[in-house]
Amino acid sequence: MSVKTYELTKYFNKRCAVDHINLEVGNEIFGLLGPNGAGKTTTVLMLTTLLKPSMGEAYVCGFDVLKEAKKVRNVISYVPQDMAVDIKLTGRENVLLFAKLYGVADRKNKVDEVLELMGLSERADDRVNSYSGGMRRRLELAQALVHEPQVLFLDEPTLGLDVSARRKMWEHISSLKKKGVTIFITTHYMDEADKFCDRVAIIDRGKIVAMDSPAKLKNSIGKDVITASVSGEFKGLNIEGITFLGREIDNIKFTAESGSEALPLLSEALSRQGLKVHSLSVREPSLDDVFLQKVGTQEEQGSFDDYKFRTLLRRRK
Amino acid sequence: MKGVQYYFERDLKRWIRSKRAVFASLVMPAAWLIFVGLALPIRFTNNYLDFITPGILVMTMLFASLQGGTLLIFDKILGFLNKFLALPVPRESILFGKILFITFRGLLQSTVVLGVAVLLGVKINYFTTIPFTYLVLFIFGILFSGIATTIALLVDDYDSYAAINSMASMPLFFTSSALMPYEVMPHWLRIMASLNPVSYAIDTVRGLFAGTFLLNGITVLIAMALVVLMISVYVFRKATV
Repeated sequence: MSVKTYELTKYFNKRCAVDHINLEVGNEIFGLLGPNGAGKTTTVLMLTTLLKPSMGEAYVCGFDVLKEAKKVRNVISYVPQDMAVDIKLTGRENVLLFAKLYGVADRKNKVDEVLELMGLSERADDRVNSYSGGMRRRLELAQALVHEPQVLFLDEPTLGLDVSARRKMWEHISSLKKKGVTIFITTHYMDEADKFCDRVAIIDRGKIVAMDSPAKLKNSIGKDVITASVSGEFKGLNIEGITFLGREIDNIKFTAESGSEALPLLSEALSRQGLKVHSLSVREPSLDDVFLQKVGTQEEQGSFDDYKFRTLLRRRK
Repeated sequence: MKGVQYYFERDLKRWIRSKRAVFASLVMPAAWLIFVGLALPIRFTNNYLDFITPGILVMTMLFASLQGGTLLIFDKILGFLNKFLALPVPRESILFGKILFITFRGLLQSTVVLGVAVLLGVKINYFTTIPFTYLVLFIFGILFSGIATTIALLVDDYDSYAAINSMASMPLFFTSSALMPYEVMPHWLRIMASLNPVSYAIDTVRGLFAGTFLLNGITVLIAMALVVLMISVYVFRKATV
């Protein structure tokens, strides 16, 4: 196991940021998903020996993050979400600094190699202030890879990048896994996690609410997801074979074994409640839907959030 | 030890490449010397330039050291510190690298001051003056950049740091023996000046310029620097798990 935690917990004063989580991560791309403030970064900080757990244990490559912190740091690399690269230094100098700090043996060649790997060779001797956001991210990956870590921790690696830079980032991450690096990622982009992660854990308010491969998680909520765009107050519904999934503003989501059969039933039932149905659509479940279901408690107060959201919109105008 | 060197080199490179910052930091102390030493209408001693030079040298070091804490603040805010802390090199090398760089930068600035002072006619009569002056300034620099980095570790944002910096630097300078000899100070100032660590450094350097070696001053500075370093390391370890 590359990463293993037992009841890992972190309190900030009275607030519980990470609540007794148990993780087992093998040689894979593992995604820790959740909304902002769910405890993703706190978890990563504990695993990378940057924060002391309040309770529980964590092991990285078999080393205790508390008692063998230095050994842990020898086998990991950590890329925080801040995009911290020295803009007045060149790309090569940035990587060389890390090679030196890691004590890499053949550093000149190794630096060239990782720059090449990240597609930065041509611009390696330019100062980083001329780099795009995507290039800076890849430069950070190059820094992280220069000592050949066994586990790579990436905190929101695609935050703030455009579509093509994201795709490129994920291609690099996927190719690293083929080389045998375990990748532990946090993100709140469900679609990316769905496409690229081998397994994901959904964390909400410090608790792991679901953990499996994206495919299995999606299967677990049903075959089809039906989205009904309505106006009016939804009072709940009781039809066999159709389960209420959650509400996002004017879109109410349901799951059903057969979407095409459920559609007419739904349409009728919703109209009977006095709702105006604008559209109905059927599609395969996504991780967003899983998320909606697992973290559903806050969605039940949908009308409240709805109101808040509307006032927010009004204020913006 | 290697880690300290690498962190030092990083800061040095980053500093050298911001030309404006380098220019400003080298010119400012010299400007102080010229304005205070030559242009100030009040003179507390006969040859005021001779008197004020050690004061400006130590002031340069004091301001450079306190200003240097911002380097650590920004490393903290921008996420560099966390990246460095996750590396296998001994974590304290981050701290020592910073303190050394801040002190080194202060010594470069002091060199400019010393050069301008000689150009303006300040006589250096003893061959021991220069090396020992550097030694005192170095110890003093370690002392105050140690204090600065400790404060930087304790506060969370740049504004708080800047506030503490400006609150500390000017009073420390004006209540020291930099501008006037003890004899002409009002009673309350004389007490403050004799307690002020900045005065220890100034008096020692002044002694060196006059050909006397004040062992007391150096010993006190070394002792204080060691205590500050220990506190700094302690705070660093606490702040970083």
